[in-house]
Amino acid sequence: MNPVISARGLSKRYGRTLAVDHIDLDIPPGRIVGLVGPNGAGKTTVLKAILGLATFEGDLSVLGKNPSRQRAALMEDVCFIADVAVLPRWIRVWQLIDLVERLHPRFSREKCLRYLAATKITRSQRVKQLSKGMVAQLHLAVVMAIDARLLVLDEPTLGLDILYRKRFYTNLLNDYFDAERTILITTHQVEEVEHILSDLLFIRDGKISLATSMEEVEQRYTEVMVKAENIEQARALSPIHERSAPFGKFTIFLFEGVDRERLRPLGELHAPRVADLFVATMEGGR
Amino acid sequence: MKRLLALIRREFWENKGAFRTTPLVIGGIYITFLLMSIFTTAHIDNDLYTFREGVRMMAEQPTATRGDILYQIMLGSSVFFTVVMSFVVFFYLLGALYDDRKDRSILFWKSLPASDTLTVASKLLAAMVLAPLAFLAVLIVTHLLMAIIASLMILSVDANPWSLFLSVANPVKAWGMIAVSWFAASIWALPLFGWLLLVSAFAPRVPLLFAVLPPLVLSILQIWIDFLRTFTLKNSMAGVIRDWFFNNPAILTAEVSDGKGKVALGVPLTGRFDHAVTLANIFDRLFSLQMLGGLLLAVLFLGGALWLRHRATDS
Repeated sequence: MNPVISARGLSKRYGRTLAVDHIDLDIPPGRIVGLVGPNGAGKTTVLKAILGLATFEGDLSVLGKNPSRQRAALMEDVCFIADVAVLPRWIRVWQLIDLVERLHPRFSREKCLRYLAATKITRSQRVKQLSKGMVAQLHLAVVMAIDARLLVLDEPTLGLDILYRKRFYTNLLNDYFDAERTILITTHQVEEVEHILSDLLFIRDGKISLATSMEEVEQRYTEVMVKAENIEQARALSPIHERSAPFGKFTIFLFEGVDRERLRPLGELHAPRVADLFVATMEGGR
Repeated sequence: MKRLLALIRREFWENKGAFRTTPLVIGGIYITFLLMSIFTTAHIDNDLYTFREGVRMMAEQPTATRGDILYQIMLGSSVFFTVVMSFVVFFYLLGALYDDRKDRSILFWKSLPASDTLTVASKLLAAMVLAPLAFLAVLIVTHLLMAIIASLMILSVDANPWSLFLSVANPVKAWGMIAVSWFAASIWALPLFGWLLLVSAFAPRVPLLFAVLPPLVLSILQIWIDFLRTFTLKNSMAGVIRDWFFNNPAILTAEVSDGKGKVALGVPLTGRFDHAVTLANIFDRLFSLQMLGGLLLAVLFLGGALWLRHRATDS
């Protein structure tokens, strides 16, 4: 199947610094991809290029279109939620729905109203009267009512409390995602999305440092809780990262591509959390 | 077309204060002043003697004269609307491509399948067409209310408002002339509108400063250099802007001199165009060399605004 997003040598220069440095990328349909990276690594720049919000060097094709030149046409198939602050504050809920209905050929008013019925949002409220959580709910209701093929989420739950964050991702997964759609998420709260991700993209200093599926992560990476007496043996197997567990009883080692049977004698085995894998790949090789 | 209309409606929703409340307030001021003057008259004019006398003298005038006076009054009463509308449109355009960059809602607007060209066009058309239509609607309502109030007043002194002024008035002609002059003024103002949109798309902050400062500095420099060289102020930028303003096809002058009302297109201080309020004079301006130069400038500015809008994000 054709990739939804395909990049070759994608670069973005701000003055002399390369914010994005010759990235190659293929994202097939039906995946939920987490784009993870520290602040300033180039995440937002990559997203902006994909959404036609920034110019770039190299080749980039999103659903077969050049986002910089064909943004308007592309947006018929792409939806985008930046953080919760981007809905215009003056607009009323009914005006927003009315406007999107007139501008978007794939918007379903019924669906949107159905999603909104499950919230406390009323038609005549202005966005500025809504709480942050409600604005996120409103934006999500509008976006989920659009039959798009690619959904891009840039820190969509920033500043929301835990209840809204959980509900946001539950709604997304249960009511929206299917095999035809692709979702691209960036967030700092990796723990909250890791159970819904199918693929991981780590980005560091403008380069992709890891591109893998979650199944592959489970196969390739193993975390071991190593007792003090086994530490030297563990180090001999060239772990990619080590850190001490809380209360100092164990040291936790992360191995890549090492046979589990050789690791088992050292201590308890786990699949690594995405956050730990992220820290390991960011700190390792520094 | 459907999308363009949706976007223009969006502009109306966002700027209801400018496009709806403002003309309503002006209309309200007119009505209030009319009522105040009626109450003043009723209070100091014993048994409305002077008012009766005025009505009688008016009735003695030939029909054509009465019709002409009414026509002049209607055109003249549009001047206040025109001036306020200019300010409204000026500040609307200054914020049109700036506000959504500031509050980051541009990220939402750009996530909708509407091209930047369509967006810029919707803002330009809101200034050129929506604003005049909104102000015209309120102006018409104001005229009708004033006619009703005046009729009641005339009825109260046992005169006949129909034969006195309602039957001789030609409101459609006046409204039509005002509408044509306003739309012509929109076209005349295209270089300014283009400049404001360009600044609005460009300014990192305080767009007003960026809009006013460059022409001001340039004008002062030119005036100074020109003065040093030739001791004249002929072709300076300030002179061009002044001529542009004085030759505006909108009715900007309404005065009463020698007991006669007089309205004029623009400000009748330059000899290049005829300032009498006629369709011919309005179109004379629109098909002039000056207009052509203005259009070229407008195309340049609008192209720049579009280019900047295409590249604009929230930062």
